[in-house]
Amino acid sequence: MLLASLNASNELFSHLWATVLPEYITNTLLLALLVALLTLCFGVPAAALVSQTNLVMAKQLRWLLMLPLAMPAYLVAYLYTDLFDYAGPVQRSLRAWFGWQSPDDYYFFDIRTIGGAAIVIALVLFPYVYMLTRTAFEQQDRNLLRASRLLGCDQRQSFYQIALPLARPAIAVSLTLVVMETLADFATVQYFAVNTLTTAVYDTWLGYSDLAAANALASVLLLFILFVVVAEQRARAGQRHQSSRPNNQQQRKQLSIMQQLTASLFCWFLVLAGFLLPLVLLLIMVVDYADYSQFIALLSTGKNSIEIAFYSATIATIIALFLALFQRLHQSRSRKIPLQITSFGYAVPGTVLAMAMLATFGPIDHLINDLAKALDLKAPGLLLSGTVFAIVFAFVVRFSAIANGTINAGIGQIPKSLDFAPASLGVAMVPAIFRVHLPLLKSSILVAWLLVFVEAMKELPAVLLLRPFNFETLSTQVFQLISDERLEQGALGAVLIVLFGLLPIILLNRQKDSQ
Amino acid sequence: MTPLIKIKNLAVELQQKVILSQVNLSLAKGEILGLVGPSGCGKTTLLNTLAGFIDQNAGTITINTDAKAINISVDNMLPAEQRNIGMIFQDYALFPHLSVSDNIRFGLKKLAKTVQEKRCQELLNLLELADFAHRYPHQLSGGQQQRVAIARALAPQPSLLLLDEPFSNIDARLRHELMLEIRQLLKRLNMTAIFVTHNKDEVFTFADKIAVMDSGKVLQVGTPAEVCQQPNSWQVADFLQLGSWLPVALLSNGPAPSITSLLGNLEQQLINVGNVSLLDDSRHLQVLVQANAMSLSPTTSNNVIVEHISVTEQGYHYLLRSIIQDSPLAFRQLSFNSRELFALGTELAIKITAEHLLLYQAANETRNAE
Amino acid sequence: MFNRIGFYTLLLLALFATSMNVAATEEVNVYSYRQPFLVQPLFDKFTEQTGIKVQVVFAKKGMAERLAREGEYSPADILLTTDISRLIELHDMGLLQPASSPELSEAIPAQFKASDNTWYGLTTRVRNIYSAKRLGKIDFNYEDLADEKWRGKVCTRSGKHPYNVALVAAMIAEHGEAKTLTWLQQLKANLARKPQGSDRAQVQAIHQQLCDVSLGNSYYFGNMLKDAKQKVWADAVYINFPNQNNRGAHVNISGMAMAKYAPNKANALALMNFLVSEPAQHMYAETNMEYPVRPGVQPSKLVASWGEFKADDLPLEALAAHRKSALKLLDKAKFDL
Repeated sequence: MLLASLNASNELFSHLWATVLPEYITNTLLLALLVALLTLCFGVPAAALVSQTNLVMAKQLRWLLMLPLAMPAYLVAYLYTDLFDYAGPVQRSLRAWFGWQSPDDYYFFDIRTIGGAAIVIALVLFPYVYMLTRTAFEQQDRNLLRASRLLGCDQRQSFYQIALPLARPAIAVSLTLVVMETLADFATVQYFAVNTLTTAVYDTWLGYSDLAAANALASVLLLFILFVVVAEQRARAGQRHQSSRPNNQQQRKQLSIMQQLTASLFCWFLVLAGFLLPLVLLLIMVVDYADYSQFIALLSTGKNSIEIAFYSATIATIIALFLALFQRLHQSRSRKIPLQITSFGYAVPGTVLAMAMLATFGPIDHLINDLAKALDLKAPGLLLSGTVFAIVFAFVVRFSAIANGTINAGIGQIPKSLDFAPASLGVAMVPAIFRVHLPLLKSSILVAWLLVFVEAMKELPAVLLLRPFNFETLSTQVFQLISDERLEQGALGAVLIVLFGLLPIILLNRQKDSQ
Repeated sequence: MTPLIKIKNLAVELQQKVILSQVNLSLAKGEILGLVGPSGCGKTTLLNTLAGFIDQNAGTITINTDAKAINISVDNMLPAEQRNIGMIFQDYALFPHLSVSDNIRFGLKKLAKTVQEKRCQELLNLLELADFAHRYPHQLSGGQQQRVAIARALAPQPSLLLLDEPFSNIDARLRHELMLEIRQLLKRLNMTAIFVTHNKDEVFTFADKIAVMDSGKVLQVGTPAEVCQQPNSWQVADFLQLGSWLPVALLSNGPAPSITSLLGNLEQQLINVGNVSLLDDSRHLQVLVQANAMSLSPTTSNNVIVEHISVTEQGYHYLLRSIIQDSPLAFRQLSFNSRELFALGTELAIKITAEHLLLYQAANETRNAE
Repeated sequence: MFNRIGFYTLLLLALFATSMNVAATEEVNVYSYRQPFLVQPLFDKFTEQTGIKVQVVFAKKGMAERLAREGEYSPADILLTTDISRLIELHDMGLLQPASSPELSEAIPAQFKASDNTWYGLTTRVRNIYSAKRLGKIDFNYEDLADEKWRGKVCTRSGKHPYNVALVAAMIAEHGEAKTLTWLQQLKANLARKPQGSDRAQVQAIHQQLCDVSLGNSYYFGNMLKDAKQKVWADAVYINFPNQNNRGAHVNISGMAMAKYAPNKANALALMNFLVSEPAQHMYAETNMEYPVRPGVQPSKLVASWGEFKADDLPLEALAAHRKSALKLLDKAKFDL
């Protein structure tokens, strides 16, 4: 891609630079910054409240706050722009109620702005921050907090001086995820009429038909992302701390009634706005528009979705396992490289990735067919780029980061001594992996598999471009209907995507409880 | 003189389980108390309760400092940060994101900057950490980390210092030296301290006073010598491994009861420390026999077989079992020291030479002499 | 453990294999920029008549690249697009081949096809101006939208949308770049809000009195009238055919083309011929609420009820020539920002 970008036409670039590009870049940075800030403001307090205080219903909120993850961002974006638009039901009712006639009569925030986009995206993405930060809080060595108490800090000071700084690596990791998702997400910002670098990528590619320039812009985007990733790793480099005693038994802060009220409002607002409200809107549409024939059609698209999600999740998990074990058991300097490379895919916008897949597999397919021709065989057709293979491959590339992260975290919990113990018992390395590491990693494997499965169910642009004939998935169907402003008819499919998204969250929660 | 800390009838329940009950202890300023006992006996819970990490269910803790008396009861729970107690954790719990000097200064926030700086410098010098002031905990060795933990705990000048298994992470060879060093330091500062350990050697080296705990109760408190010479219960003697157990049977009761064992009738004066009721329950009686309080008896017939031999600085240490094994008085692990070397399986005749014997009832019928 | 993993691997491979069914019956493969439900009834009819199976893959972005990458092994026979710019793009990338038949040349007027017969229009759609009914009937020119009297009263979707780009290209063809830029800048100044949403959303905004006039394609009017919820929006506006007293309303086409390496050439041609046949033209226009390109075929009753209109007779190839300049003008005017 970088090579291709070198051929980018200078003329187009200088035109873009002179006109819209500076604003696109400003918008991109502003959006990423705002989303990062907002997810921070949503996720960290929520994590602290749930894990460190006696908040009412903390046990339920613990997992309720993860639910927004199940909502595809483009869906929520569509629902919210529709809801809060000038012509949307909220402003309509307000106008009807107060007898306002025109936008000049009252003030209402404009949802289609960078701010609006940031809020809605943050509402969907904050669970990343919440989840990782909460885990960090819960796994902090309780003796550190105790030490701080004995050294004269009350609970509040201990939180700010010890718990929060120690959670910083987790917060940084989750923010990186959030920023990557934000930068790569075109479908979502589109509804907000916010033009970012991603818009520019599509403009140059589809409008100016200049793929080279589009690649160059995409590279700029990747540079941003690279910068974020490196900055994050730098920030973490100086910190190494492994907890020995999970902090689940610590004393929780007792909230006063006012605090209790504010905290509950805050947490429930997040659950409501990030999950319940969109779900209810969808369900209303389902009830209003659904009919039986649609349901039958959904079954086959649903099957397609599940199939590709299944392959992708399985393959991504296996690769992640392989890489993680390789890194663990192969103590060379270069061992970290494959992991870092695979984690990069997450930051690549789906369509850009799809283009890369075509660029990669197209030539291979040609080779296969040329070979077949030379051997006087029937040409097998586009075995790789024209089948589900390409989609699955793209998904694996895109979601490897998730699988890697989860599996690595799991493997980190296995004591190093267990790597050596089997050898001392006369068991070779490979059987040892099957008999020791894999059973111990069972829950991480399950979580990784489910997370990729759900992301694959939601993922859109890559499928749109790579799918074979007559191949529809839930997300492509929903997206088509959305792009035609007819989400009503796709609501059932959307609800199915959300329901599938709930599966891993429920399972994750179960697992935590049983531990 | 009023004790610095006085614990009265302290009780703790966690999840409806009694962890501590009827704990009474007091400690004068400058004294070092060692809490010992098998794991799960409640010694760490006691430490955590004193520190304020666990709420007590009954009883009071009184801490008398020069300035005032702090009284902690169920009605008046003082949060940990207001107790003026310092603690050194088993894994040191150093703040990984702060440098050595920031760790030490952590508890000094309320003081003026110059005072903070001065005290931090003093402690760095005292604990020979001056070269590491700007390092982070993960860049230090275990021993250095422990020094930082000590410096950090001492910095706010607590009235009481708690140490949780302070030497368990230290190399065995360095441990003794370090214990003496820290003990001297605490003595120099006239610091009152309570430390927890499951290692009896540590407690004898480090403590002025020891308290033996079992199942949430304090069994015995006293100087190491007192406890060693007159353990007040089978558990205390057993935990501290003060000798090995010889099963005995009562021959006659009365003011001067007589007993017998597989080593013959024992003529020594019996001291019934544990106030064993000899009237109605004379089963599982055992006497404590020290390895040096036995000798070979050329006059009697053989009564033991050599089971195990180990070499010590003073000769050989044997574990002996009784030749007769189908008796209720049979034993398998009687310790015996001798300068002579016997082969495994050799039959010997052994007699007890001690002037008096401590009589106990075994806590657990399957447990035999150790 | 080994066995289990082996089993799952096999299972996976088996599933994979079944999902790659490479069939070889009589078929024709369509890459469509159009949504499948709009074209599916036609294909069903075609299959019914000829027995040739139609396979469709729908995508908006990257279709041309996919085709280019697939090259001579591409399974694609026919390409269906919704906008002239796509056809031109495919043509310029050398991905099309000429196709001709008596039926095609008879059915499609020269204005709506490539001079080298590489692409053909199927239906036309007008870029209309919708205006609030409350203002009464107004005769519009596109040029009027820049008039100061509409300050804060105009709504439109993104300027970069192909429909708007084509309109701007038509303006350039008529007025030249400099004048068009001024027009764009004034139009932008007249906008009630930043360009956003779809053509329907603009009509909704008029209904909600956020603005008075908007740009929108003709068929959306029909679609809205058919939708229970959206009918009230459509009822609030008039659909106006602009520039009736001069060059005529700007029209765009949805079109078709034969892929350069079409493996089923004969079937493809059969499908093309079928699509321009009178019944198919009627049906296509009926479902899409568009105007058939074939002269003499009537649009749907609803569409016909909007009245006769004069269309700009600018050849679409000429229109396409100004597309890139149009995009640049939109960037220059910062129309979307």
